[in-house]
Amino acid sequence: MRSNSAALFLLLCWPAGAQTAPAAPAASTAPTVPTYVGSQTCQPCHEDIYNAIQKSPHGQVDTQKHRWEHEACESCHGPGSKHADSAEASAIVNPAKLTAARTDRICLNCHLNQPTHIGRPESVHARNQVACTACHSVHGHGPNGLVPRKAAAVNELCAGCHTAVWAEFQRPFKHRLPEGAMSCVDCHNPHGSIFQANFQSYAANEPACFKCHGNLRGPFTYEHAPVRLEGCGACHEPHGSANPRMLARAEVRYLCLECHTNRPAAPGPIKNPPALGGVPPAFHNLLSPQFRNCTVCHLKVHGSYVSQELLK
Amino acid sequence: MKIKHLLASFVIFPLLAQEPAANPAPSTEPVLTGSIDLGYRFTSIGGSSDVYNSVVNLHDGPRLIGLQFTLTDPHHRLFDRIDVRADNWGGDPYNSVHLNATKKNIYDFNFDYRDIAYFNLLPSFADPMLGNGIVLDEDSYFTRRRMSDFQLDLFPAHRIVPFLAYGRDSGQGTGITNFVSDVNVYPVADNMFDKTDNYRGGVRLEFNRWHATLEQGGTTLRDDQDAYASGFNGGNVYQPYFGQMLYLTALSQAYGVTGDSIYTKALFTANPLPWVDLYGQFLYSQPQTNVNYTQYDNGSLVLLRSLLFYTGEQALGYSEAKQPHTSGNLAFELRPVKRVRVRESWMTDRLHTAAAGLLTDMIVQPAAATTPSLLASLLAVNYNQEQVELLVDATSKLTLRGGYRYSWGDAQEPAPLLTGGGQESSQLRQQAGLAGFHFRPIQKLTLNADFEGAASDHAYFRTSLYNYQRMTARARYQLAAKLSLQAVFSLLDNQNPTPGVNYDFLSRQNSLSVSWTPSKRVTVLGEYTRSTLRSNINYLDPEFLSPEQSLYRDNAHSANALIDVALPGYAKLTPRLAFGGSLFISTGSRPTTFYQPLARLSVPIRKNLLWKSEYRYYGYGEIFYNYEGFRAHLLETGFTISH
Repeated sequence: MRSNSAALFLLLCWPAGAQTAPAAPAASTAPTVPTYVGSQTCQPCHEDIYNAIQKSPHGQVDTQKHRWEHEACESCHGPGSKHADSAEASAIVNPAKLTAARTDRICLNCHLNQPTHIGRPESVHARNQVACTACHSVHGHGPNGLVPRKAAAVNELCAGCHTAVWAEFQRPFKHRLPEGAMSCVDCHNPHGSIFQANFQSYAANEPACFKCHGNLRGPFTYEHAPVRLEGCGACHEPHGSANPRMLARAEVRYLCLECHTNRPAAPGPIKNPPALGGVPPAFHNLLSPQFRNCTVCHLKVHGSYVSQELLK
Repeated sequence: MKIKHLLASFVIFPLLAQEPAANPAPSTEPVLTGSIDLGYRFTSIGGSSDVYNSVVNLHDGPRLIGLQFTLTDPHHRLFDRIDVRADNWGGDPYNSVHLNATKKNIYDFNFDYRDIAYFNLLPSFADPMLGNGIVLDEDSYFTRRRMSDFQLDLFPAHRIVPFLAYGRDSGQGTGITNFVSDVNVYPVADNMFDKTDNYRGGVRLEFNRWHATLEQGGTTLRDDQDAYASGFNGGNVYQPYFGQMLYLTALSQAYGVTGDSIYTKALFTANPLPWVDLYGQFLYSQPQTNVNYTQYDNGSLVLLRSLLFYTGEQALGYSEAKQPHTSGNLAFELRPVKRVRVRESWMTDRLHTAAAGLLTDMIVQPAAATTPSLLASLLAVNYNQEQVELLVDATSKLTLRGGYRYSWGDAQEPAPLLTGGGQESSQLRQQAGLAGFHFRPIQKLTLNADFEGAASDHAYFRTSLYNYQRMTARARYQLAAKLSLQAVFSLLDNQNPTPGVNYDFLSRQNSLSVSWTPSKRVTVLGEYTRSTLRSNINYLDPEFLSPEQSLYRDNAHSANALIDVALPGYAKLTPRLAFGGSLFISTGSRPTTFYQPLARLSVPIRKNLLWKSEYRYYGYGEIFYNYEGFRAHLLETGFTISH
């Protein structure tokens, strides 16, 4: 339409222009500023996507007054008049081909101010330029179509990138993720968290482990300090292990002795020891099977209510 | 279909025209859609059934393998839509149900329930008498954990979302625990029950330029544990002690723990200017517990500190513990120019546990003086972290990243009694450099690397991260339209050269995965991971203080594969065959093999009826503990009925 008008204008002007000094071409090269054309314009060519979006949570963008009303498609793809005129793919923003940062800015225009994104500055995904669209299918169909909800499907999505982690779940002692009883997002917040490894929190600021292992939450009269200082990962491999109880060592005694040693022989209070957890010499003869698994006696290894030695 | 409707309307039209007013046609949208997956499992198990139950725990019987349905109300009365899914019901060790009900602009309700059985009985784990051929099943248990979560989000206004939630986590089961009586240890029966109720509510305020979430919650805890025994129990030490045999004849030991906590959460995000994002959160919780402990035991027992032999003992204890825990975080992202982002983040985490109580121990036979002992401890942890990162989009295809993190803190805990008690303290001082890049030279190739290197002055524990390098590199290549490859390399190298510690830890994982669709009928997914772990650390033998070295090795091969084939169809129905599975082979400190091959066949019988069968094999073996191996064949067959 615009190009036809320009051609007609040029034909009318041509004789006059021929009589005078060459004039600047009449506005034909000035870039036209693309404008918003509305989602209805997109529908005829992209009907399947249009219909899917209407049934997805993004469908409500079209009904948001004073923001993107009737412009759901252009809320992400930008003004679409050029693309509507030319039907060229290059004439419109395609978030799939942008850098992750730019794609994310488009999503965060609406989604930054939501509680799920509170940990974004610490997010490992954001740091490694994993765009929102790597997990979210923006044109997804249905109310749950934007991202998998079923545990097995969530795990499959995460395992697509985290292959080495998924390999750990093939070990005999693991959390029940391969069986679909749990999902990665039960423990990790993919949008980021102030805790290490995008870890979820429970009851405000406690590790997500306590959501299911409430009996280990305490507080105990006698805490086992690593549980509070370094978390369960100090002794356990939560993704999976060949060792019983998902422990980080094949035998319990080594797991314990690697920390509980090196105390100077002389008894007495130690100020600023090289590390916490040292113990004085003991009568434990490691050649005896009785002392090979420390948790046979030190039962309450996560913390005890009555025994400082974690014996009961 | 449309032509039929058109013809019908032409036929009906004259009739309708005679009526004064026609009712609107009812919606043709289906009200109920979904599928149900029912089947029966046959199993054949050889080898150690205890270890099979600890690792797999799947057994014979009819099963509701899966259920998924959606209920929509075309009139949008009480709900717009209800989605329900349930998995693995009818005796499997992990059952789940999820329900989501929504009504647009009114509410969103979610319910989640899981029931997971934990069985753990591994003879090699904690049986000191195993070498003598005696298995006492020590430190074993069979419990079920049930977790329910309800959350209701309301939408009274577009930008204000109040929410209410309730969650319950409970565990119940039996096991064998140990009763520790100075010189001897006695395996005894154990009952466990615990439950935590979590109540929370709050409001989310979501505006275009800022958001705040305010949440207040609370939990209640009950944790009961009873250990008991009657009859002769010789314990783990069969040798006489100063000429006298030690044994237990009766025990009643009970822990009654109640607890509660309040917690507060305040979250804030804002983008006051197009080039600034702000983030902040304040988190506070204060769990506390009250404990009643009782113990009665009879037998031939000894009190080590006074070398007193006795036959009856009674202990009563009471204690309280509180744990105020405060966390805070402030962060911002600046975008001063188009290609540059600066991220700054600060956080603090402060946790203090204070506990006090009294334990009264009384030897009743022969009568002796009561020994009251004070139960008191303090654990204090203060952690702080400051991090700044600069991200530069050098070109449209390359993003570079660099940053710095400083972590510092201090901790105090009770010192061991034998060192004189009191408190011991330690510090954390760690500086880390951060770097990385993301490179996408062509649409089909993505390269990504993330590096972190740190040096520490102090660390809390001998095995803590000290001087370490952590790295992950990833390459993804779309070789052809139907073939993509991914390679991942990750590394953690941690060194603590402190004399007496000499910690040397190296963990490396190399992973290669492929996704290939050679034809419309065939899909191949495969993944192979090679992982190696080396850990060396010095320690002193506790008895003679002789220097020793703890060596741990774990070198493993893991592979997963699944080949899915669409078989020749009939009547527009396509049967499918999938086969593959996983394997894990490790050498090192605990050489283990674990094979899980599988084959699946699904044959559509009608449009809405599918016959599905799956065969799985589990093969588990350990070289050092070959009595723990098992082999299991599982065949599951059933039907999926969809509507």
